[in-house]
Amino acid sequence: MFGSRNDVPLDKDASSRFLPWLIAVMVYLATMSLIVALTMNKLANRWDQGLSNSLTIQVPAGQSPAERQAIEKKTALLLQEFKKIPDVKKAEMLTDGELNKLLEPWLGKDVVLHDLPIPLLISIELSQSSARTLDAVKVLTAEKLPTASIDDHQRWLGNLLGLAKIIGTVSLLVVLLVGGAAALMVILVTRMGLAIHRQVVELFHLMGAQDAYIANRFQLHALKLSMAGGFAGLLLAGLTIAAFSTLLGQANSALLPSFTLTATEWGLLLLIPVGASLVAMITARLTVLRSLALMP
Amino acid sequence: MDFKPLVRFQDVHLRYGNGPDVLHQVNLTLEPGSFHFMVGPSGAGKSSLLRLMYLAHRPTTGRLSLFGRDVSQLDRKETSMLRRRIGIIFQDFRLLDHLSALENVALPLTITGMPLEKVRRNVSELLAWVGLADNLDSKPPTLSGGQQQRVAIARAVIGRPSLLLADEPTGNLDDKIAERLLFLFEELNKRGTTIVVASHNEALVNRFNHPVFKIINGEVRLIRSAQTIEQNTESGAA
Ligand SMILES: Nc1ncnc2c1ncn2[C@@H]1O[C@H](COP(=O)(O)OP(=O)(O)O)[C@@H](O)[C@H]1O
Ligand SMILES: [Mg+2]
Repeated sequence: MFGSRNDVPLDKDASSRFLPWLIAVMVYLATMSLIVALTMNKLANRWDQGLSNSLTIQVPAGQSPAERQAIEKKTALLLQEFKKIPDVKKAEMLTDGELNKLLEPWLGKDVVLHDLPIPLLISIELSQSSARTLDAVKVLTAEKLPTASIDDHQRWLGNLLGLAKIIGTVSLLVVLLVGGAAALMVILVTRMGLAIHRQVVELFHLMGAQDAYIANRFQLHALKLSMAGGFAGLLLAGLTIAAFSTLLGQANSALLPSFTLTATEWGLLLLIPVGASLVAMITARLTVLRSLALMP
Repeated sequence: MDFKPLVRFQDVHLRYGNGPDVLHQVNLTLEPGSFHFMVGPSGAGKSSLLRLMYLAHRPTTGRLSLFGRDVSQLDRKETSMLRRRIGIIFQDFRLLDHLSALENVALPLTITGMPLEKVRRNVSELLAWVGLADNLDSKPPTLSGGQQQRVAIARAVIGRPSLLLADEPTGNLDDKIAERLLFLFEELNKRGTTIVVASHNEALVNRFNHPVFKIINGEVRLIRSAQTIEQNTESGAA
């Protein structure tokens, strides 16, 4: 059934020359899109982990130095309590020096902070972020220092994560659209082949060839062409990524995504040309079977 | 494997699209082992009648049975199985130019999934029988018209069909060669194959002792019935 007998001479059709190139371009686009989706996903995870692991608590200092001292004392006690929560790695008040540094651009050097109603800042780092730990911190703060406000970066992070998710989704959509376009192309090419070889197809049909036999001729042809095109497209995408990685590696920035892929991710990319070939094969088969069904 | 009759038309009409009846109220039966000619001027409907028999078309109305089966009741698989028992010699041969003579003749077997290697011997022997032993690997375009026709005949009979349908096989052959071709068909007929030969050459047909149908105004009439005189045929003189 999978013999390589070329009794329907599809190899000589124009489609045999252009289909692999079209499939190569589409697989290239789909692969790049999938890489973008994977990278966005990874980036989002990294931000999510990196940022949710740190919290900042702002404590309004009050008007008078006396008030401020009382609040500083309470804050110090609270810090001790925070440290008892499992998963809290570090909990500390920013020192005057650190605050000075933060405020320098606005207030100038060596301002005596105690004279100003600057809020106290607590920085907390978690060894791992979980809703339970976050809740424990929040409850404790609300209880001991009701005036304090907690910033867990979630709003900012939420926006970024949302953006990353949208880009990821759009990329996956591109993969699907490219797949659909490839399938349409295979339908066209198969119909063309059926038209060109109408005589042969009709002859086989009248000799008693089963529909599946005739469909096999076309589907194997489509499989062969799209495998060649698909792996060429994947190779091109691989080269592009290698070039990107080299450039980004030189830039050496922590913010930019890294394009190093895990084995699983490479496997996923390999699925694109394989998937494209299967789609092409099945599409060709269904197209031929549909057209044969019109023959009595 | 004997069906009585092998082919049966009952009140069959054939129309193309919304056109007039090309075949009108056809009633005929072909017994197994018979040999019939189908005559009529060009455009009379001979090819159309054969196309009904090799299932390229279905009757517009009426009932057609092949091998005892009503063809309108067959599913796709049964239809293709039934087609394998019918050999067709097309007026224009329909050989595949990119395949060798041997591969062309082997087609009715290879399209059923048989590997070429398994049938190569049988096919070569048949090609030798029709005088093409030296042309096994030739592509049709390099063969003469007569040689192409013999490839087409070999292809029609390689699957040992029960029914052989030939559409104007003597078309552009001179009378001597045409006669020899018909002797070849008689040889096959003697081995049990039911044969229908369409031809517009009534003079040639009349030299043979087989029943003749004539298509006139879309109606099929038996204008000469089978006689039981033993003909002295020169067998296999191709
Ligand atoms: N596929 C077709 N579509 C429409 N008309 C057809 C078709 N095939 C044959 N005809 C018409 O049917 C009539 C009979 O044709 P045909 O069976 O080829 O006759 P013959 O073989 O006796 O010359 C002719 O008038 C022809 O024009
Ligand atoms: Mg004709």
